[in-house]
Amino acid sequence: MRVLAAVLWKDLVSEWRSRERVVAMLVFSLLVVVVFHFALPGGATARNASQAPGLLWVAYVFAALLGLNRAFSIELENDAISVLALAPVDRGWVFLGKFLANFLILGAVQIVVAVVFAVFFQLDFSGIVPQFAGIVALGSAGLCSVGTFFSAMAVRTRFREVMLPLLMIPPLLPVLAAAVEATVGLFTEGKVPPGSLQLLLVADGIYCIASFILFDYVLDG
Amino acid sequence: MTGMAIHAKGLEKRFGRNPALRGIDLSIPGGSRVALLGPNGAGKSTLLRLVAGLSRPTSGHLSIAGLGAGKPAARQKVGLIAHETFLYPHLTARENLLFAGRLLGVPELGARVDKLLEEADLRHVANRTAGSFSRGMAQRLSIARALVHDPAVLLLDEPFSGLDGRASAKLAERLSELRQDDRTLLIVTHDLSRVAQVADSALILLNGRIAREIRGAALTSESLETLYAESTEGSP
Repeated sequence: MRVLAAVLWKDLVSEWRSRERVVAMLVFSLLVVVVFHFALPGGATARNASQAPGLLWVAYVFAALLGLNRAFSIELENDAISVLALAPVDRGWVFLGKFLANFLILGAVQIVVAVVFAVFFQLDFSGIVPQFAGIVALGSAGLCSVGTFFSAMAVRTRFREVMLPLLMIPPLLPVLAAAVEATVGLFTEGKVPPGSLQLLLVADGIYCIASFILFDYVLDG
Repeated sequence: MTGMAIHAKGLEKRFGRNPALRGIDLSIPGGSRVALLGPNGAGKSTLLRLVAGLSRPTSGHLSIAGLGAGKPAARQKVGLIAHETFLYPHLTARENLLFAGRLLGVPELGARVDKLLEEADLRHVANRTAGSFSRGMAQRLSIARALVHDPAVLLLDEPFSGLDGRASAKLAERLSELRQDDRTLLIVTHDLSRVAQVADSALILLNGRIAREIRGAALTSESLETLYAESTEGSP
């Protein structure tokens, strides 16, 4: 727990001072929202409103890719990743610290993007904010667990910006499918399909546990 | 420390098909100061990374103070200083040391950090971000970071690299101070003129093997240069 807290503190303080990731993620995902708004014929119609949850998740995935790509490249400055690798504990705790930091940073961006999305696509959040937040949290947990793990792997490769999406998106397909299905269900019928929630929970659990165990090998130089 | 600080038997490391270390047998008693010398590609940094637990051997045995290298308990015994500083540029000097100390579970961390900042002559810039430091200041902070948990074995990978004459002299002075305590030092360096100042013996690595061990009076700069040239003659 001590290592988890230290890594989380370090990542959040560094991000607060540099604002490198948050600003890039925010600007990029807001541009995606604007592009979707103008690309869809008819603007904010009822049909588009039913498609909006899927588009919202596309914006979230783009934001996550951008942020996760930076999550470990900041560790390469001065080879600081060696400090993490030298920690005399199971390196899974380092993974959990990075995972939580990524989850919180992505969450802050997601809140702003959701508000802008609601304005552009006239999405009505009234009465469903807690359920919506729960779905986004579960989907983001999957995004960040897989993303943090593969970001650490991709960071030492030559084409890391390309490698991360190639490694990360395929295992995330079940998470994204379930998150979109749950969000569509919430906006169109006011309830979340239980199957999609179960899939999110199971996928998150598997990805978090597998990443925790395997992270020891990822940090080996 | 009593007994062997570092013990290796038949240690091999390969990167794909390329062997970096080819059967290293090594016993370094606690409290020794050993310089690792050799041309580029001889395997010096690879050996240091294995001892630090940053990399796993392909085969052979390696232990640190009797603990299997790479195991969490063995990593606790080791401090590593390299030409890269391992510092976070957006954290202050104090925060960098606090972060390292928290990872390593150092008790009474605040007092320990104050002491290290004082020793490194960085107390007056403790609240400045490490990104604003000169190379010499960053290297002094890097040494403080490596010492935060008072490791039994201190590994230094070309610590003089990139430092100007004044900063090099200051670093050598700091390393001489570290010789006074009962710590084991393993130093990779190309700077033969510094070896006698920081080490009691030297090992020359060549093509992943220990080619020669040098002790005592032979460590003086002139003798060492002759022995080094003899040992590495004909190497790429």
